[in-house]
Amino acid sequence: MPKNITIFTTNTCAYCAMVKKYLSAKGHTWEEVNLDQNPERQAEALQLSGALTVPVTVVTKQDDSREVIVGYNLAKLAPAVA
Amino acid sequence: MSEAEVQKHDVIMIGAGPAALAAAVYTTREDIDTLLFERGVVGGLAAITDMVDNYPGFAEGIEGLTLAQNLQNQAERFGAVIELGEVTKISDEGDYKRLETTSGDMLARAVLIATGSDYKKIGVPGEKEYYARGVHYCATCDGAFYRDKKLVVIGGGNSAIQESIFLTRFASHIDLLVRSSIKASDVLQKELQKYVDDGKITVHLNTATDEIVGSDNVVTKVVGTKEGAKVEFETDGVFIFVGLVPNTQFLAGSDIELDEIGFIKTDKHLMTSMRGVFAAGDVRSGATMQIASAVGEGATAALIIREYLEGKLVPTSEHAEEIITPQPC
Ligand SMILES: Cc1cc2nc3c(=O)[nH]c(=O)nc-3n(C[C@H](O)[C@H](O)[C@H](O)COP(=O)(O)OP(=O)(O)OC[C@H]3O[C@@H](n4cnc5c(N)ncnc54)[C@H](O)[C@@H]3O)c2cc1C
Repeated sequence: MPKNITIFTTNTCAYCAMVKKYLSAKGHTWEEVNLDQNPERQAEALQLSGALTVPVTVVTKQDDSREVIVGYNLAKLAPAVA
Repeated sequence: MSEAEVQKHDVIMIGAGPAALAAAVYTTREDIDTLLFERGVVGGLAAITDMVDNYPGFAEGIEGLTLAQNLQNQAERFGAVIELGEVTKISDEGDYKRLETTSGDMLARAVLIATGSDYKKIGVPGEKEYYARGVHYCATCDGAFYRDKKLVVIGGGNSAIQESIFLTRFASHIDLLVRSSIKASDVLQKELQKYVDDGKITVHLNTATDEIVGSDNVVTKVVGTKEGAKVEFETDGVFIFVGLVPNTQFLAGSDIELDEIGFIKTDKHLMTSMRGVFAAGDVRSGATMQIASAVGEGATAALIIREYLEGKLVPTSEHAEEIITPQPC
């Protein structure tokens, strides 16, 4: 079980909805940073992911190590939050 | 996984876009046990479309994401189960079809392939290198990163025009590069003209894209050719909408016949060359690539699958099937 999860999203991003759907099906909670509402945090998303895209999911593990998942990528997201 | 543990279903649908979700509404209402596999977004391409203006029943249009959510809710209300995962292979075992999936093998008495299509790449230098770092295929996903920036959009069909218009809510200016002429509907062309008149979009016809150039990890310009001469467009990012390729790679080596482009061939009952396997929506050869038609084909396929499961769709010759006793719904 991760310590916490942050997802960078936008209003129109369907893949962001899929990440949230998956996490809620697995019983996780998360903090959402909506870049349409907080455009000043775009640089942070870019720095974390190296990509100009959302969703960016940041999973902080119990040992404080961090995993960043770019896009809706179940093969990476599922083990990261397991 | 032992053979005894392999899940068996009446119908497995591959994909959960408009075609499969519509089909699932019909099969589940008939109490036919239905599982859908989705590797991407539930709602398919419809979910990543900003606004859908031509789906009947919504006089003011409907956001693609909302339409997708409604389709999903409706299918799930009647008992459809959506598994998040991918089907990687299909083979014929007679009464059952075996599907290899990311959740293990599954067996189904009937299968509906509704895997739609994905964005085509143009294959120029820079496209792969700058993917998601300046080169994009989904405006609703990545457009927000281009507030007050300059963009190039490549393409001249409905999607390219629709998405260019969507991107004007972020970008300061868009250069639209069209290889030959614009092929979009009249309504979209009229809408586009408003943005051209406002100076938000500049259309460059007969302009081929040759290279996407960048430096220090960011895209800086697009190099192309117009009437034999080299042209350059300074930009912060590039969105590419040059058509679609069918999602049928997983059928390579199967007995399911494809057309020369890779779309699935079906008979008049939407059955493929593998008996008991049907196809509907954008992935079907001859499809009209619209949500309304995908939904219509999904409903049609579901009703025919019901006949098939009840043994009423019998082969009358090697290549023809006949529904013996068609039932009204
Ligand atoms: C930018 C754009 C704008 C559009 N605007 C409109 C519009 O305004 N009006 C309109 O009517 N149409 C529009 N369309 C077309 C419309 O979106 C499609 O016709 C429609 O979505 C087709 O539905 P489908 O179910 O056949 O396929 P899709 O919507 O493509 O869904 C297929 C699904 O199958 C999944 N899949 C693929 N392979 C596998 C696999 N092996 N295993 C599991 N899952 C798989 C995919 O992830 C996808 O979610 C637009 C398309 C685009 C690209």
